Amino acid sequence: MIASLVAYPVGYAIWLSLHEKHSFFPAQRWVGLGNYALILADEEFWDSLRKGAVYAAATTALQLVAGVAMALVLHRAFRGRTFVRAAVLFPYMIPTIVAVIVWRWLLNETYGLVDHLLVAWRIVREPVVWLGVDHIMTSLVAMSVWQFTPFVVVSVLARLQTIPPELHEAARVDGAGAWARFVHVTLPQLRAVLFVVVLLRSIWMFTKFDTVWLWGEGAGAGREIRTLPVYVYMRTFTYYQAGFGAALSVVMFAMLMAATVLYFRLFWKDEETA
Amino acid sequence: MRRRPRAGRRLGRALLYAAALGLTAQAVLPLVWMLSTALKPPREVLATPPGLVPAEPTLENFARLVGETAFLAYLRNSVVVSGITVVLTVAVAAAAAYSLTRFAFRGREAVAKLVLCTYMFAPIMIVVPIYVMARGLGLVNTHAALVLSYSSFCLPFALWLLRAFFQSIPLELEEAALVDGAGRLRAVVHVVLPLALPGLVATSIFTFTLAWNDYVFTRILIASDELKTLPVGVQDLFSAAVVDWGLIMAAGVLITLPALAFFAAVQRHLVEGWGSGGLKG
Repeated sequence: MIASLVAYPVGYAIWLSLHEKHSFFPAQRWVGLGNYALILADEEFWDSLRKGAVYAAATTALQLVAGVAMALVLHRAFRGRTFVRAAVLFPYMIPTIVAVIVWRWLLNETYGLVDHLLVAWRIVREPVVWLGVDHIMTSLVAMSVWQFTPFVVVSVLARLQTIPPELHEAARVDGAGAWARFVHVTLPQLRAVLFVVVLLRSIWMFTKFDTVWLWGEGAGAGREIRTLPVYVYMRTFTYYQAGFGAALSVVMFAMLMAATVLYFRLFWKDEETA
Repeated sequence: MRRRPRAGRRLGRALLYAAALGLTAQAVLPLVWMLSTALKPPREVLATPPGLVPAEPTLENFARLVGETAFLAYLRNSVVVSGITVVLTVAVAAAAAYSLTRFAFRGREAVAKLVLCTYMFAPIMIVVPIYVMARGLGLVNTHAALVLSYSSFCLPFALWLLRAFFQSIPLELEEAALVDGAGRLRAVVHVVLPLALPGLVATSIFTFTLAWNDYVFTRILIASDELKTLPVGVQDLFSAAVVDWGLIMAAGVLITLPALAFFAAVQRHLVEGWGSGGLKG
């Protein structure tokens, strides 16, 4: 039963993708691979794929760097550490809609705090239109990194705590500086967890819908951040092309599977148990 | 052992505390700003320069939110839908996980692997088939559609989480209870479930968070205003022609509170849940 719960929607998506079907009406017409042919010829598909890839790559890379750095700080002993560790998780625990409205308020070009400070401190002359055509991708990436980095922090921190302190002591005795200890002792130990974190984060960022959609809603420049998941949604629920939308989901799914297999081929080592 | 000079060590401590302060600030300040805006009267919300502490704090925004919008209806819908989803998912997942760990059947490992695969799924990958199926079943615009979507989305992973916990409970304990004359059901309720409590908590958190925070399933499955849950209801307030920031921030505060309270209440169990991967999104 559980297996069918997983397989059924996926199977049904594939079945739907072979039809031309309106999202509302039950009638459907068999078109075979017609929808897939349309996708290949669809400029908007390629554009959304490019934007989705840029978004996923940028956010994953930044989350990884910020997350590891934050975990290293939180691993050290200092007063109030328990509180800081909990506080750092907030952005990940709050609903996406809240994260989005808070940042859209902070980044509002007329009344927002961020632009006010940037102008007051003379970092910029004119308020930056964060949700305008030029900066909407940048602000989306920044906001997403803020929201999702805690996942990396928690995963890395959990692993850091299991590294035997003797390893660091030994390196210290050998005269290794802080940076050398990080590169030669800590990083190799983190390899397995980073392998999983990069895989999960890039998949989840590539398929992220709500954050991206809500960031662009009513902003006027939403087109600039139309990633593949947003495009799937629009085709199905704005243009009511359920068959086409299903085909897009299947393409997205297939690409992720292929990327995952490739990723394992390239980076997986047998001794790792993740 | 090489000793760092004293001044260097002090500088290190100072940097560490500065970093800790920075980490806290980046996470908490945006939310503090939300609270501050929510407590400001409309004139002050748009004032330049903006102040962190409201000059004339007021609950006006909250009063308007409750009095003039359907916020309370959204809140009730969110509580009902999330609550039922958690109970249903945990009950089914616990039963399935129990049978997966206690009874041998063919393909047991394959099922476990398949389930793990779904951890990578995102809602957007299944919204299209779910929507068309819900339409076919006449479930569009009902809370049942939401509960079923969330449960089926969470179940595989909930099952996988619980399986790990059930596996760690020695069979001998159960057998001892059975030998003492307890039926299987009693053995499960009195011996297995209490031991699996951290797992049940982790699973509940995972399911609750997903249902409470969900946007996309509600957006596509619910059309009437009185059935909407909080995230979609608040987005509709936000999409109004003139954005009423004080009102929106008040709504943000009220949605965040239950999530944070829940988080604080179960924080002790959280580490364990995360250790076994109770995070997604």
